[in-house]
Amino acid sequence: MNAISRTARAVFLLGAAVFFGLPLLWLALAPTRTADDLTTGSPLGFGSLGNVGAAWSHLMRYNDGELTIWIGNSVLYAAASVALSLALCVPAGYVLAKHEFGGRRTLLTLSIVCMILPPAALVLPLYLEMDAFGLVSTPASVILPLSFYPFGVYLAFLHFAANLPNTLLDAGRVDGAGELRLFWSVAVPLAKPAIGLIAFFSFVRSWTDFFLPFVMLADDRTFTLQLGLMSLLQSTGAVNAGSGFSDLDIHQPEAALAGLVAAAPTLVAFVFAQRFLRSGLMAGAEKG
Amino acid sequence: MKRSRSLAAWALIGPYALFLAVFGLAPAGYALWTSFVHDGAFSGVRNWSAVFDDYRLSDAAWHVGTYLLLWLPVLVLLVLSLALTLHARPGRFSSTMRFVYYLPGAVTGSAAALLWLFMFSPDASPFSPLLDLFDITSVTDALSGSTLIGILTVMGVAVHAGGWIVVLYGALNALPRDVLEAAQVDGASTWRTTWHIKLPMVRTYVAFVLISSFASGSQVFVEPTVLTTGAPGQISPTWSVNQLAYAYATQEGDFGKAAALSLAMLAVGLVAAWIVIKRTRMYATDDR
Repeated sequence: MNAISRTARAVFLLGAAVFFGLPLLWLALAPTRTADDLTTGSPLGFGSLGNVGAAWSHLMRYNDGELTIWIGNSVLYAAASVALSLALCVPAGYVLAKHEFGGRRTLLTLSIVCMILPPAALVLPLYLEMDAFGLVSTPASVILPLSFYPFGVYLAFLHFAANLPNTLLDAGRVDGAGELRLFWSVAVPLAKPAIGLIAFFSFVRSWTDFFLPFVMLADDRTFTLQLGLMSLLQSTGAVNAGSGFSDLDIHQPEAALAGLVAAAPTLVAFVFAQRFLRSGLMAGAEKG
Repeated sequence: MKRSRSLAAWALIGPYALFLAVFGLAPAGYALWTSFVHDGAFSGVRNWSAVFDDYRLSDAAWHVGTYLLLWLPVLVLLVLSLALTLHARPGRFSSTMRFVYYLPGAVTGSAAALLWLFMFSPDASPFSPLLDLFDITSVTDALSGSTLIGILTVMGVAVHAGGWIVVLYGALNALPRDVLEAAQVDGASTWRTTWHIKLPMVRTYVAFVLISSFASGSQVFVEPTVLTTGAPGQISPTWSVNQLAYAYATQEGDFGKAAALSLAMLAVGLVAAWIVIKRTRMYATDDR
């Protein structure tokens, strides 16, 4: 690469970094500032760490620290649905990519249909279904529908179709390995980067989903963090002053802090998923 | 032999197929049924014609159409160029950049409303020089007239690009190294390798990005809703088609009309998906 194209590359990538990064830098600084300073001060000013502590204690005062219960709920729901969705998606994607069987195209097509089906159509039917199972307002009413994740099936399908050579599987068959064993001992270890990616997206979906818990959960002690924060911030009118009423000091810095708390696990999960990406396990698999 | 293979295939995909039936097809079928029911009785196409006669639909369809026309090409081109540029030289810098590009996608709910409202407020935004350039002097300015579609495009790109960059980068990362090395030995330039080797090899992933993004763009909901929460009264609560479907379901309690409109959106997404699948042979298993 010559000097000009290297500079062009750096300018392009760093320019994009400013576009994508500035909003979060602003959000990260917001809790250190006061509500007044946010509108009148310099856009990327730094207030004080004391303000962050104050904002946090304001948030924690809501229903005696109910925030921590919501965080616990969210972690539980997300962990369960990620585990279950991986157990469903990875074998399904493998079979769709590597086996010819009656019903394959039908399953691929129906998965696309469900993947792009607008959630508004599903709200009432899913609620009625959970009601019929007697599961409404239990964690299962959120975990089970979230574990059905056709997007993840497609990621697994595309990965196995593009990167797992049939010759490798045939070699295993010649050696006498059964089909289930081939999946578990050959396909899964080679698909770690894809599995990391699916786990990440599945986590983000469970963690950020708002509408499903909103419909299914009635008791605020079973709320997810997203759902709880929405009710907290809306009831106090923190985002647009004047639309709510509260004696709690919940304002824009508190809303920003709450947003950061809600976003942090997603970013941690991202860093973890990236570690799987870097491993590059496919290199030379065919030769071995 | 053949029988046992197909048995193993069903053992691996069976659990997913069950979830597909229970949490995908059954609710979707029920939605289809409700779209033909009014006040508990079968009413033919009554809901459908009521939806298509709604004066709000043509406005919403027009908004979404212009949004797609602007957002989809910008998103896909940016995602492709950033993923390919990052992959040309993998390393710590590249993985930091992927993290930064993902940041805006991690902010959801009320915090997103707060964040984007401030990003488009000329007095408080770190982007104020850019806003000045477009003659935006207040939030009201930013959210009115033809500027709104530009604002939504910027938001939509910032929020959705990061996830797709990771997916495409993962796909590029999994490409067999021997092919890329062979191209380098043959003296192919970085640009030629990218255009003639890498891009065709990840075409199924590009198809997947197109299908999913077309569907999520035509069902755009979060971005206009977020701006509506931040600045009530500025944007119509039924700005997009999907918002109209939610308004039927939640404010008007009319699930029949919500289902009809959702299924109409699904139909549009499926036509796009079908075209992409046919043109890219995404379902083929015999590639390698």
